[in-house]
Amino acid sequence: MGLVHQHFELVGRLRVWQNIMLGREPRKGWHVDANAARVRVAELARRNGLPIDPDAYVDELAIGIQQRVELLRELEREPSVLLLDEPTAALAPAEIDAFFGTIVQLAARGTAVLVVTHKLQEVINYSKRVTVMRHGKIVAHFETAKTSVDEIARAMVGGNLPDVAARAATAPSPCFVADGLFAGESETAIAGISFAVRSGEIVGIAGVEGNGQTTLADAVAGMIPYRGTIHIAGDVGIIPQDRNKEALVMNWSIVDNALLGRQHTSRVRHGLLLDRSVARADAQVIVDRLDVRCATLDVAVKTLSGGNQQKLVVGRSLFGEPRFVLAYNPTRGIDVGAAALVQSRLIEARNGGAAVLLISFELDEILAVADRILVMYRGAIVGEFERANVDRATIGRLMAGSQ
Amino acid sequence: MMDFVHGALATLVLLTLVKSAPIVYAALGGVISERSGIVNIGLEGMMTGGAFAAVVASYATGNAAVGLVAGVAVGALLGFVLGYGATKFKVDQIVAGMGINLIAAGGAAYGLVLLYNQPGASPQVHALGRWYWLLILFAFVCAFALHHVLYRTPWGLRVRACGENPRAVTSAGLDPLRFRLYAAVISGALAGLGGAFLSIGEVNIYSEGMTAGRGFIALAAVIFGRWTPWGATGAAVFFGFFEALQFVLQGRVAWLPSEAMQALPYLAALVALCGLVGKVRAPASDGVPY
Repeated sequence: MGLVHQHFELVGRLRVWQNIMLGREPRKGWHVDANAARVRVAELARRNGLPIDPDAYVDELAIGIQQRVELLRELEREPSVLLLDEPTAALAPAEIDAFFGTIVQLAARGTAVLVVTHKLQEVINYSKRVTVMRHGKIVAHFETAKTSVDEIARAMVGGNLPDVAARAATAPSPCFVADGLFAGESETAIAGISFAVRSGEIVGIAGVEGNGQTTLADAVAGMIPYRGTIHIAGDVGIIPQDRNKEALVMNWSIVDNALLGRQHTSRVRHGLLLDRSVARADAQVIVDRLDVRCATLDVAVKTLSGGNQQKLVVGRSLFGEPRFVLAYNPTRGIDVGAAALVQSRLIEARNGGAAVLLISFELDEILAVADRILVMYRGAIVGEFERANVDRATIGRLMAGSQ
Repeated sequence: MMDFVHGALATLVLLTLVKSAPIVYAALGGVISERSGIVNIGLEGMMTGGAFAAVVASYATGNAAVGLVAGVAVGALLGFVLGYGATKFKVDQIVAGMGINLIAAGGAAYGLVLLYNQPGASPQVHALGRWYWLLILFAFVCAFALHHVLYRTPWGLRVRACGENPRAVTSAGLDPLRFRLYAAVISGALAGLGGAFLSIGEVNIYSEGMTAGRGFIALAAVIFGRWTPWGATGAAVFFGFFEALQFVLQGRVAWLPSEAMQALPYLAALVALCGLVGKVRAPASDGVPY
């Protein structure tokens, strides 16, 4: 059996062939026979249609190629069962198609392939059979040909998908204004971006990954230097893109993570000391409001699933009803139920009069949630649409860089 | 005058070799354990253990070779303690290493009183004599061998993988903890050999505090040498040179107090490491229990 983890288990500072042949090194006397190993890796790569440079260092490869190395390592063992855990979590759309092309071929040649994923479209496109798990139990089986995304989604959340919250009429007034924003360097730089977000409005920034969204988010969050002006009226809640690196301390409890960023506010302080009971009560409110599934408030957040971690981050960012919310891919890598909940909470924040800036690589998410859509391409805003007159095809063309 | 300079230069070169050898051994020990993922801050204690054990065994048997073997064995034993604690019990490696330093220093001090009833230093014992030049040479043979093992053999590849990402080793169907344990034992053996060189190589007694921080200098050499056998060896010789220089200058440069000169090698280590800040990268899983 071969297992490819969501988080790659490769040695970055070793070469591709060293990673693939680790533990099964061809020998010449006492030595590793490097040439034989290279030949075997090259042959393996050719046979599976996964081209690779055996001598490249793994940490110098793109994520998609690293995954190829991980896959080749398992294939080298000629497994009869191949288990893939969220294999596309780190891949770009084009890489995903190529990846599943290989997997489907592999299955056609007689390997049993088991894919664990939360992306339903992949299930529909590439699988033969589907099993749905919820709360650690198997709740449904389907033949892929006889089911649909909706049916699978219903089985996942145990009923109908929660409706995304209805939007209320609001009285907009400017809350966030960016004017002539320049930041970042080379390909991901942003050049002269100006836009405003009004209170009671969700502005979605659509675009293909790598067109300056991260630079924009970092500049708005004040994490990198920028030229131009950013004016924000009121307090700010930020949902960063990478909950692992930018939002949570994995070894800390839910209470402590829920407190992070608010630890200096008078609400949770008793003179010089923290008021633990208030912190605890606040954490409970966040957990309840976002339906974070956890045994107790004292468990380390690393023991939570990705979806529950993300819900905690979102709950913390929205706690205290900030006037401006920056949400960067707030539903990335979480299941449909959790994603719908997060989107609902964003809309509720908007209904409550918050200005929400939603940057997302998922056009569907932006179309579902945003009141106004800006399209970003190569560091500039290339289009603007009101919710009432959205044209999906035009947005798609703008995202791809054509007029 | 020229004779004096020649004499001083020759002394400096020979003394550099003598002073480097124990640091080279300990630094090589540091390289192998850190490449496997175990930070060995106990090198100092392992050297102390080796130095003391070598004297005890040489005294008991009248044979310096037995002393040498005993030094290596006690070093390896301390390495095993660190390795076993770090793998089986996942103890904090810094704390365990520090504990080894304290136990070795205290144990040797206690042993001096217990065995010889004289605190501070042991009686004179049989030393290695001429063999000790071979032992200097052997330090460089070890560097060559370690380089070869780490970069050319399957075992070395696996050890390096353990230090970078032990999960990858597990995925390959191997037990990273075994590699780490072996690496720690070898590390201790090398440090013990370095310690034995100090007590029955350079001199013929054990005196308290004789390792004088060489284990820590060796740690600096590991970092300065970027965790490679040859790099660490070069760095150890670099630090050994300053120790030798300090001896040669002693009494020749009147205006500098001798204490300031004795600080030379440590100063060199400090300056060398400061220059490296942000430029070197330890093995990714160095010091992280698995």
